[in-house]
Amino acid sequence: MKNIIFWLAAMLFAVTLSCTIDKTDYEAELSPTVTEDYIFEDALSFNTGDYKISVESLNGTFNKGYNEIRLQLTVTETNENLAGAEVTLLPIFSSDDVATSCPHSYNLVYDEAENAYVGYAVFTSESTSLESWELYFSLTANNQIHQVNQQISVEEQLNKNLNITSFTGADNQEYVIALVAPRKPKVAENELIAGIYKYNNPTTPAGDFPDPSQFSYSVVEDYTLLIDPRMPEPSMGNHSTPNNQDLTQGSDGFYHGVVNYTMTGAWTLNFIMLNSEDEVVKGTEVSTAFTPGIEGEKGELYIDTLF
Amino acid sequence: MKKQLTILFLLATFIANAQKEPKEKDSIPVLLGEVHLIKILKKQLETEMKMAVSVDEYLASSDNISFIKRGAYAWEPLLNNMNTERSIITIDGMHIFGACTDKMDPVTSYVESSNLSKIDIKSGQSGGLSGATVAGSIDLKRKSTPFGLAKKWNGNYQSGFEFNNKQFFNLGNVAYSSDKLVAEGSISYRKAENYSDGNSNEINYSQYKKFNTSLGLAYKTSELSSLKVDAIFDMARDVGYPALPMDLSLSRAIITSASYKQLFDKGIFRVWDTKVYFNTIEHEMDDTTRPENLVHMDMPGWSTTYGLVSKVNLHKENYSLETQLNAYNNLSIAEMRMYPQDRSKRTMFAYSWPWVTTRYAGLSLNNRWDISEKSALNFGGSLGVNYNHSKYVDFNWIFHPDAPQEKTRFLPSLYGGYTLNLHQFNFSVGAGYGERAPSVSEGYGYYIYNSYDRYDYIGNPNLKNEISYEANASAGFKTKKMSIQTKVNYFYISNYIIGRVLSMGSPMNYQSVGVKGYTSLDYATLFNFSLNADYTILKNLNWSGSVTYARGQDDDGGNLPFIRPLSYLTSLHFSYQNYGFQTSVNGDFEQINYSPEYGEDQTPSYTIWNLSANYTFNLNKYKAIVQVGAENIFNEYYSTYADWGNIPRMGRNIFTSLKFKF
Repeated sequence: MKNIIFWLAAMLFAVTLSCTIDKTDYEAELSPTVTEDYIFEDALSFNTGDYKISVESLNGTFNKGYNEIRLQLTVTETNENLAGAEVTLLPIFSSDDVATSCPHSYNLVYDEAENAYVGYAVFTSESTSLESWELYFSLTANNQIHQVNQQISVEEQLNKNLNITSFTGADNQEYVIALVAPRKPKVAENELIAGIYKYNNPTTPAGDFPDPSQFSYSVVEDYTLLIDPRMPEPSMGNHSTPNNQDLTQGSDGFYHGVVNYTMTGAWTLNFIMLNSEDEVVKGTEVSTAFTPGIEGEKGELYIDTLF
Repeated sequence: MKKQLTILFLLATFIANAQKEPKEKDSIPVLLGEVHLIKILKKQLETEMKMAVSVDEYLASSDNISFIKRGAYAWEPLLNNMNTERSIITIDGMHIFGACTDKMDPVTSYVESSNLSKIDIKSGQSGGLSGATVAGSIDLKRKSTPFGLAKKWNGNYQSGFEFNNKQFFNLGNVAYSSDKLVAEGSISYRKAENYSDGNSNEINYSQYKKFNTSLGLAYKTSELSSLKVDAIFDMARDVGYPALPMDLSLSRAIITSASYKQLFDKGIFRVWDTKVYFNTIEHEMDDTTRPENLVHMDMPGWSTTYGLVSKVNLHKENYSLETQLNAYNNLSIAEMRMYPQDRSKRTMFAYSWPWVTTRYAGLSLNNRWDISEKSALNFGGSLGVNYNHSKYVDFNWIFHPDAPQEKTRFLPSLYGGYTLNLHQFNFSVGAGYGERAPSVSEGYGYYIYNSYDRYDYIGNPNLKNEISYEANASAGFKTKKMSIQTKVNYFYISNYIIGRVLSMGSPMNYQSVGVKGYTSLDYATLFNFSLNADYTILKNLNWSGSVTYARGQDDDGGNLPFIRPLSYLTSLHFSYQNYGFQTSVNGDFEQINYSPEYGEDQTPSYTIWNLSANYTFNLNKYKAIVQVGAENIFNEYYSTYADWGNIPRMGRNIFTSLKFKF
């Protein structure tokens, strides 16, 4: 009997002492670089005339990249929402006395469901002590025009899956590509959504500042974005993935495609942008060779992601 | 610590040892039909040549087993020249699945020869009693001490040293047997350093350390029934795999079961034996020992299985029926995390087994009808349901976007055989049909790097069942002085699962050259032949020999990989008084039918010569055997057809061992 007790003790001892490692928490593994709150909060709020304007953005911040903007207009006296007004938005970036803008929806559209005027701005850089962003609003209600501008702070884009790239195409036009989704990619087939915007070169001389015609952008129509994802990490040897789908424009104006990520980590989405005539506007093909020890290929046009 | 444990154990067993005169045994019948008594002391697993063998060495002595070797430890047994996906390997009927995606831990690596009594190998569909199979089944039978032995305490202790790789091992067993209670335990520890090949070059990363202990308690609940609980704990550390780009830092298995056995002394029911079991395996690879590695990866794996096996044996006159219910649930998880060269950057994570659940439930029958004294008919079959679920099916969708998350398969099997004994001749013919489901790796594996052909493998959840049609025959002749036996079998396997180069995807592992996906060939065929002969030259001089041949082809007439070339073994055994001498010569012919497509190159022929001598004596009251021998005496430099990456085998190895029984 003593032996049995001895054995039991020896076994328990062995079982408890042998070290083990914990299984990975996969959900947590996907989140560390991504904030998961997608709530619209007040980013900006001010009064003009008889109206109160509240500007909402995700988490109440403006970040480099694509920002959906919701503007609520209330009559201060009655505290009622005002629909049917004409609201415009113009972001202006001032740097060394040069004013530029970024892709944005100039006319905000009233959304019944949200009780808000909805639009977007794709901020192309962050605010710094020397360079700042201002939002110019104009509001036409009851045949009265109210104009107001507010300085905002555009912060770093922490979610690398919403990165953007700005470039000049072969057609000498200025373009911006902004990733819109997935916000939280998985090791899976991910629906990839991007906005492609183009700067409309002004055809008339500048009027009073800020003259919207000098800062006009539009959504690019009927282009195609060919995709080739690669891992930049040298030890991954230019690793890529199968079954990706090129991005084409959907009815919502955005470009939709599929990117397969085979593992978490840093990725480079290499693009080739074709115009509606299937001519290359920007981008080069990358080598498909497997090159262990050498950094993954980046073509002429790419956006880095990380998850 | 483990050495101290072993010494403690030794002391304990020596002190506890009590000798009594033998008296009537009161043991419990174990198997169907033939009620036979367990020998007082089961023989340890041992081969002709060597009395202290590892489980792998023991299995290697069987005709229809060959091995894929990735080093000195944990060889992957091939049954009928088919890999472990096609066979069922169980421990006392319990299903266990390795936790390593690279097959560094076949089930056979989680037991130790000292706690096994025998290994049951069944070829083809006759092995279908414990589940769906193509190649057959290997059941590792644990030692089991009967109740009420005359001698209450029994045990043995074995120690030895092998010079080539400085392997030192200690294996000990002890058993207590009373009328009502049996307690048995074993403990063992092996430690080996790098071995040297035939050119006396050290093979780096071929060391290992293995600790194994087991415990069993049985209680006789009535005259005809008993209850038993068993546990095995096995742990290997610092195991090198010279043929792989990484080693193992820990593999750990806890294997437990509780069983109830009821015997019947009247009627057609003979035995009812039911067991519930649980086992869990953890496996951690380690590549930090290899400076040449460009990437550091963590690759832990877990495999947890619980299940039920219930057997009923019926017998009436010349007819007996064995029926078995198997049910188990397995969860296999394997992760890989690659570290970037700049460690401050984010690591890269993926599942190589995305939490794959396998559930199986099946009922198998095995009938034997003794038509006459001379002839008998064996027939049976099984029907199983196999269910798979992939928790993170996103991983599988990357290559197979249409794959379902869950899949249920029905796995039927049927077989029959006829045996005839005519005077000194015996003949048998048989046929079988069976289906198997793809394994976890074949169905759901994700970028599993195979260092043999240097491809990353992707599983396919949509694979069809592999269907095997099999025919076998044997003939033999036996006299008092000699015997000769020949066996052939032929498998036609449709939807044969194998990896084929994929046109899409790019490698993930930096050593890899491409991506292969598991696909089904239309069919493949396999033929196995063996011839055994035995001749008693003098009363104490015995010769035996065997030849095996196999051929495997795919649907294009191309060769299948890992098919053993023509091989032979011849041995002489001579005994004189307390001495025994053995010598054997074995080898393979040149591999003619190799398969470059699957990463094989031609392996030249080799011959090795082994020699051993043993002496039996009594030391005080204990019976002891000492053995000295040498394997590969001519220090031949060779590697076999199934040595991963052509890793050379061990050169000359002098082994010694000592065994006490009490």
